[in-house]
Amino acid sequence: MSFSVSQHGDVAIIDVEGQLVVSNRQELKQRVLDEVDKGTTKVLVDFAHAGYIDSSGLGVLVSLAKRIRETGGDLRLANLNEDLQTLFELTKLDTLFQISETRDGALASF
Amino acid sequence: MGEVRDALAQARLEAQAANAELLERWEEINLLYSIGDILGRTLDLSDAARTILAAISDTVGAGRGGIFVYEQSSGLLRPLTVQGVDAKLVAPVAVDDASSLVARTYRARHAMLESSVPGDTSDLALRRGPVLAVPVMWKSPQDGPVALGVVLLSDKRSDMGFTASDEKLVSAIAAQIGTAIQIEGLVRASVAQQRLAHEMQLAHELQMRLLPATTVVSPEASCAARVAPAQSVGGDFYHLFRLADGRTGVLIGDVSSHGYQAALIMALTMSAMAIHAQATVDPAVAVQALYASLADELRQTEMFLSLCYVVVDPAARTVCYTNTGHPHAFIVAADGTVQRLDATDPPLGLGGDAPHSAVLPWTPGSDLLVLFTDGISDARDDAGVALGEARVLDVVRARRHDAPARVVDGVFSLLEGHMSGMAPADDQAIVVLRS
Repeated sequence: MSFSVSQHGDVAIIDVEGQLVVSNRQELKQRVLDEVDKGTTKVLVDFAHAGYIDSSGLGVLVSLAKRIRETGGDLRLANLNEDLQTLFELTKLDTLFQISETRDGALASF
Repeated sequence: MGEVRDALAQARLEAQAANAELLERWEEINLLYSIGDILGRTLDLSDAARTILAAISDTVGAGRGGIFVYEQSSGLLRPLTVQGVDAKLVAPVAVDDASSLVARTYRARHAMLESSVPGDTSDLALRRGPVLAVPVMWKSPQDGPVALGVVLLSDKRSDMGFTASDEKLVSAIAAQIGTAIQIEGLVRASVAQQRLAHEMQLAHELQMRLLPATTVVSPEASCAARVAPAQSVGGDFYHLFRLADGRTGVLIGDVSSHGYQAALIMALTMSAMAIHAQATVDPAVAVQALYASLADELRQTEMFLSLCYVVVDPAARTVCYTNTGHPHAFIVAADGTVQRLDATDPPLGLGGDAPHSAVLPWTPGSDLLVLFTDGISDARDDAGVALGEARVLDVVRARRHDAPARVVDGVFSLLEGHMSGMAPADDQAIVVLRS
């Protein structure tokens, strides 16, 4: 499991590979906050290569989204597989995040 | 006869010489034995060091001395004990201090002799006349020789200065001190670990005691529940309330983390909900009041709380519930149909509107309320495959006519078989109730 960071215009894109769980959530948090410290206000987390998020992983996404929104920016999500989409719906977290089916769709939404 | 007499005389002379040497070295041999004895009898390194330094100083005739031990966290060589001067005058020495013979000996990892005292040395208080400094070494099985500190001696009483023989003797003693330092460190770490394990066990027992007995809701309801934290303490919990007019309140919760911070939120939730649940039969009102009690703590810890609070009302044949992002909440009917209690709101701690409530029909005496956390459905086997919600519900359906305790046992048997002895990565909790 790992995270890679790339830039598309003024949007920082974080690709999650594998899982977002209790053991690596702090790493994701740090990678995103590093981008925020550089002045980025638009962050896209792409789950195209991720299969599972536990409650701690959801927690870190929520915490980051709150932090970024406080600075006038936004954190958005893309490419949730069916299980992850269901998870966001069952927990009502889909009401708190803007979720796009594709990376391009998410980038266009900013 | 003459040859025999000469041989006897020669042997007598050799015996006398050996005796004389033995007497001469007696103090040193005795010192080595007594130091082994001192170190063997004590676990207080400072006390042992004081006694040893006094014995060494006496044997080699040094008026002043000190034993310094390296402290990794500060990069300092700290005096463990000093002899012949006021301890307040002897400061810790930085390991990279170029003027200090203690620091230089530590870095060089071999003994050093200096005959005069340079004016600007930071070891000044301990030095008078010739000085002998010997590193305290320990042979690590993995890394070979490791320097742990330094023995420094000065103010030699004879004019000869320190001899090679003194150096050998002090080096032999320093090796014993090195072993003692290492053993003391291991003992201290082991004691700290035991204490931590004991405290975590106490915290676990305390947390388990916060969970109510399932009999608190009888006779109106029969209930079974189980919580298995991933660490000694965790963030999954349940609570039960016997409410007015035959109603029963059932709460399950999952704090978005593990460990003691999650356990703290859990404890706060348990105590706050005990107050708010008794004040109203409307779950949304109770959960809103709960959130007001927890908001500051959730904000400070960046945690959130998914919970489902259900008020079962057999007289009205309904359940009224508020579900803040808790995915696994169900009513399993006698015919095996499963109705999910859909989330009414996102988890607590994310801001948003006041929580909502929803109502579903309830068949008294036969419907089962089944609430569990994602630590159960997401539990992985050794190939990394999740147990899945559907398999949990299959077990519940198969035992839906049994007592709630049998249902909980069935789910945990399935879970344990799936995990085949692996430690859970997440807290696991389940509550099953019939009323």
